[in-house]
Amino acid sequence: MKVPILKQGNILIATIQSALTDNDLLSLQDNLAHQVIQYRSQGVVIDITELDVMDSFATRTLRNIANILKLRGAKTIIVGMQPDVAFAMVQLGLTLPDIKTARDLDEGLTLLK
Amino acid sequence: MEKQSLPKSLNIDTLNLMNGMSLDENEIQHRKDWLQFDQSDEARLTELNEMAQGYADEVIESLYEHFLKFEDTQRFFEDPNILKRVKNLQKQYFLRLTKGNYDSKYIEERLKIGAVHASIGLDVKWYLGAYNFYMRAVATRLFKAFESKPEKALAAFFSLTKLVYMDIGLAIDTYIYQRESTIQRQQEAIRELSTPVLQLRKELLILPIIGAIDAQRARQLTEQLLHAIRDKRAKVVVVDITGVPTVDSRVANHLVQTVDASRLMGATLIITGLSAEVAQTLVTIGVDLTKIHTVGDLQGGIEEADRILGYQLIDSPADPSHLSSQE
Amino acid sequence: MVDDQVSIPILTDSDIVSARQQARELAKRFSFSSSELAGIAAAISELARNIVSYATQGTVNVSLIEEANKKGILVIVEDQGPGISDIPLAMQDGYSTSNSLGLGLPGVKRLMDSFEIQSEIGKGTTVIVKKWVLR
Ligand SMILES: Nc1ncnc2c1ncn2[C@@H]1O[C@H](COP(=O)(O)OP(=O)(O)OP(=O)(O)O)[C@@H](O)[C@H]1O
Ligand SMILES: [Mg+2]
Repeated sequence: MKVPILKQGNILIATIQSALTDNDLLSLQDNLAHQVIQYRSQGVVIDITELDVMDSFATRTLRNIANILKLRGAKTIIVGMQPDVAFAMVQLGLTLPDIKTARDLDEGLTLLK
Repeated sequence: MEKQSLPKSLNIDTLNLMNGMSLDENEIQHRKDWLQFDQSDEARLTELNEMAQGYADEVIESLYEHFLKFEDTQRFFEDPNILKRVKNLQKQYFLRLTKGNYDSKYIEERLKIGAVHASIGLDVKWYLGAYNFYMRAVATRLFKAFESKPEKALAAFFSLTKLVYMDIGLAIDTYIYQRESTIQRQQEAIRELSTPVLQLRKELLILPIIGAIDAQRARQLTEQLLHAIRDKRAKVVVVDITGVPTVDSRVANHLVQTVDASRLMGATLIITGLSAEVAQTLVTIGVDLTKIHTVGDLQGGIEEADRILGYQLIDSPADPSHLSSQE
Repeated sequence: MVDDQVSIPILTDSDIVSARQQARELAKRFSFSSSELAGIAAAISELARNIVSYATQGTVNVSLIEEANKKGILVIVEDQGPGISDIPLAMQDGYSTSNSLGLGLPGVKRLMDSFEIQSEIGKGTTVIVKKWVLR
């Protein structure tokens, strides 16, 4: 599995570690959808500090993940987006308007508590 | 005008000039073709060399006599030693015109001369005047020497004209190139100076933007700001645009992009100093102002930022130092 | 003068990753800023993904180019897929035949300095984009 998911209390932490293929992202979506139910998690933090590019597919998948988790009663927060990644994203027109963001993992966890 | 004398030695990096001005073999040939300068011109000029040696001193003497009549050129030759030296250089330059081999080495020498004159601040008009003086001096002598064959004199004079025009072209391009390099360096310096991202306190950055913003500067501002957000771990940024004279749709879109990108990173951007006129223009051109968090002035923006950060400004005499002395 | 270039065949989603990585490595040789590099990678990702989604296979060609007094990167993305029937429509923000965001093509145009697209029904699609180093 490309994206390790960690359980901390009633929160899941997914740490994206490197360049992801579309299939890696889809399996992350699957895994999170299952584990949120399995562990009855209240929230999920997706840490993308290491990610060096976000395109429309990755954005759409993150949005889908947030929507799926919401249906299962969990909040999603994206943390650690790099400045260059954010700038390229907004130029593409991708803004993730309805997803919560935080600067880093600590802040993300605080916001969920 | 300030007095200025000829510096002892001028370090001109001609190779760099040649590259910067893209003067490769191709370009040199291109310039010659454009002037219709060919082998026959070179042959005609080389033929004149002997004669030129005969009148070189005379021509140079009268040229400097002319120079010394004007204050602007006079000031360069106050030191008699310098005058002697430049006369000598001028003679070499003059004789070089009839020595053949107008190759890249020749071009390099010519660039150097142009660059030296540009850097001592001699205006192009004086430079052109000197060339004109040369042409007249040589024409008179040519037609005298070839009195019985005026068409030969004319042909030789045309060849010389072509070469001199090439020289002039090179000199002017050197002037322009040096000016442009200077302007570019200054623009970079100004750009860096005019985008100070200030840390007001922990987690709070202020970016006062002053002056006109073009696409390139807008881009750089956004880049710098986003990097500062990460490096300084900022939570709120107040961007004050009171000092920006006009905000067009392009700049406005950049502002919106910066707001969105900051949010993606987990920070909040507040814009202050947006005048009513500017706000109206933005709405007219279709910018969605609801996406932008705006506050009237910088002071109000900072108060709003403090509210978001959870600071309380207390008017009591209690020590407020904990508010500003973190980190 | 031989310009540096790479050519990456695109068949699966992992080729998209390798195309943007190789392009980024190549672009690093010129003094693009780090955010421009991220932009180039994102643009290539979009164009390569369109191949995987709509044309099954194609190629991403990336080369470093120099003109009169500027340097930059040239990206040519081509496929022999079904082609695009209405290009102006495909270039609109939000237009998608796959229920996606429809931001790929218009987004790439915003990220790059020049954008050209040619397409013929049944023959394929070619997108040519350039990005110059700011000077
Ligand atoms: N290489 C291609 N071959 C055939 N059709 C294409 C190709 N690229 C794009 N298209 C068509 O153009 C439309 C718009 O493309 P664009 O990349 O802008 O959006 P998208 O792929 O639908 O969504 P997104 O890229 O935001 O996920 C696509 O839906 C598709 O119909
Ligand atoms: Mg697409």
